[in-house]
Amino acid sequence: MRIEVRDLRFRRARFELAIPSLSIEPGRLTAVVGPNGAGKTTLLKCLAGLLPAHPGSIVLDGQDLAALSAAARARRLAFVPQEHASAFNYAVRDFILMGRAPYLGLFASPAAEDEARAAEALAFIGLPEYADRPFFEMSSGERRLILIARALAQDTPALLLDEPTTFLDPRHESEVMHLLVRLVAERGKTVLVTLHNLDMAARFADILVVLKSGSIAACGPPGQVLNEELLTRVYEIPMRILAHEGRTFIVR
Amino acid sequence: MREKTKALRTLIYLVPFGLAVASLWFGTVRIPLLDVFKTLLSPLVPSWKAALPAGYVDIVFGIRLPRIILALAAGSALSISGASLQALFKNPLVNEYILGLSSGAGFGAALSLVFLPHFPPQLLAFAFAIVAVLLVLSIASRSESPAVSLLLTGVIISAFFTALLSLVELFASPYSLQALFYWLMGNLSLAGWAQILPSLPVILAGSLILFRMRWRLNVLSMSDDEARSLGIHVRREKFLVVVLAALVTSAAVSTAGIIGWIGLIVPHLVRMMFGAENRRVLPLSAALGASFLLAADDATRSLASFEVPVGIFTSLIGIPLFILLLRRSSKVWL
Repeated sequence: MRIEVRDLRFRRARFELAIPSLSIEPGRLTAVVGPNGAGKTTLLKCLAGLLPAHPGSIVLDGQDLAALSAAARARRLAFVPQEHASAFNYAVRDFILMGRAPYLGLFASPAAEDEARAAEALAFIGLPEYADRPFFEMSSGERRLILIARALAQDTPALLLDEPTTFLDPRHESEVMHLLVRLVAERGKTVLVTLHNLDMAARFADILVVLKSGSIAACGPPGQVLNEELLTRVYEIPMRILAHEGRTFIVR
Repeated sequence: MREKTKALRTLIYLVPFGLAVASLWFGTVRIPLLDVFKTLLSPLVPSWKAALPAGYVDIVFGIRLPRIILALAAGSALSISGASLQALFKNPLVNEYILGLSSGAGFGAALSLVFLPHFPPQLLAFAFAIVAVLLVLSIASRSESPAVSLLLTGVIISAFFTALLSLVELFASPYSLQALFYWLMGNLSLAGWAQILPSLPVILAGSLILFRMRWRLNVLSMSDDEARSLGIHVRREKFLVVVLAALVTSAAVSTAGIIGWIGLIVPHLVRMMFGAENRRVLPLSAALGASFLLAADDATRSLASFEVPVGIFTSLIGIPLFILLLRRSSKVWL
């Protein structure tokens, strides 16, 4: 599914997000980077329908996002929040099962098919043995993976992930990134992810969207887009790009 | 372990039925157990009816049965609405009291009992329960930290309606004051068919709809953004659950009086034993709440020569029980 942004504007007290045009393609991993307050999460939440966008400013395969019902939207777009905070300690299996909500009515409970989808999502993230464990016993890295599994159970053509690697150790960080690459390669999903780690973005993303103060500073494949002048301008500190054994490293 | 929980679950579902039979059996007039069954079946077998001592039919059908049904219905109503509200507000401390539901319903019912004696108290109880909860929600929703302000606003609105209730008491005649006083402490002894019949369908229908929404409550217990991204129309569905909980609570409160702590303690006990999944929490809370109130009512009518209002009893038993379990439970369930 292609997500098209046409003249999206979102205003808040001292901040305005203004995206004249952006197209997020299926089968590609698109990463949004930029300093704090650049509008990464705002963009993601507008795309997910969590913040109001003008009718016609976000179009999913020709369909206006604003015209979709909550359930219809959730059957096309899955949103993975940065943190999950709940007062209740659900078992991992029951937690992932909640991804089936867009397919179930107000008075319905999940059927065997929904259970199977949830189990498959848990297997995809590689934690099938955790089904009966309580969510609160999981480490923060495992929790991120379980949140992604819930989005997978939602069975949407597109996934939007808000900083899924922040606060993770290097191993879990690459685990999450490899998982996203697999989603794109094996399932052909449209994946949009906000990231802080520029090395990870440069290494894994197909397309990089660089945001600064609510607008796009650059957009394209990392190899073409990333340069020292751009990064220094966007992050407002001197930054250098080093190449080592065919990989890009960003140092400051 | 799993077998054990399964057995415990079955037991919790069976207890209300056993308790109901036991409650028909004991009381100030001792009726042999066999005669209780014969009385129950006597409308179908006329020859038994003739053979039974006079008064058995009146005692079993007229006095004990409506009281038992009310205890079961009110106990499960308060527990199921407590469990639903806790999920909805993502806060295990929420109960009918904190949201002002009980005090609103209490004030409405008192107003009705004192000034409109021929009017069913359920109507005003429901109206003021909704007024109270809407006041709490509208004030709390404007705050930066909804969880804290929800609790604070609830306390304030409850205090406000309690003050209004005192005002009603001040204007009540001595006769209606005594009735009101008994009712406020939570009392099932005043319940006859005439009192419980208007409430039963409301409790039954409301609880049934909440029960049907049991899985949805899991999703509603996520943060609002998460629930929305999972395709939930958050505002609409929250409103529906609040209205249903208010209906069920006010129907219970207007007939049984103010019965404390069940809506908080019972769902917690269930979560401690069986986890947070609402597909289990709701039905198990209903069964356990029904048993709890019925057992408490049985205790109040058999322990002393006079009847202690059951509301006092549920608080006196419920709170220490809760503290005990809280201390012994090593599991994280919140």
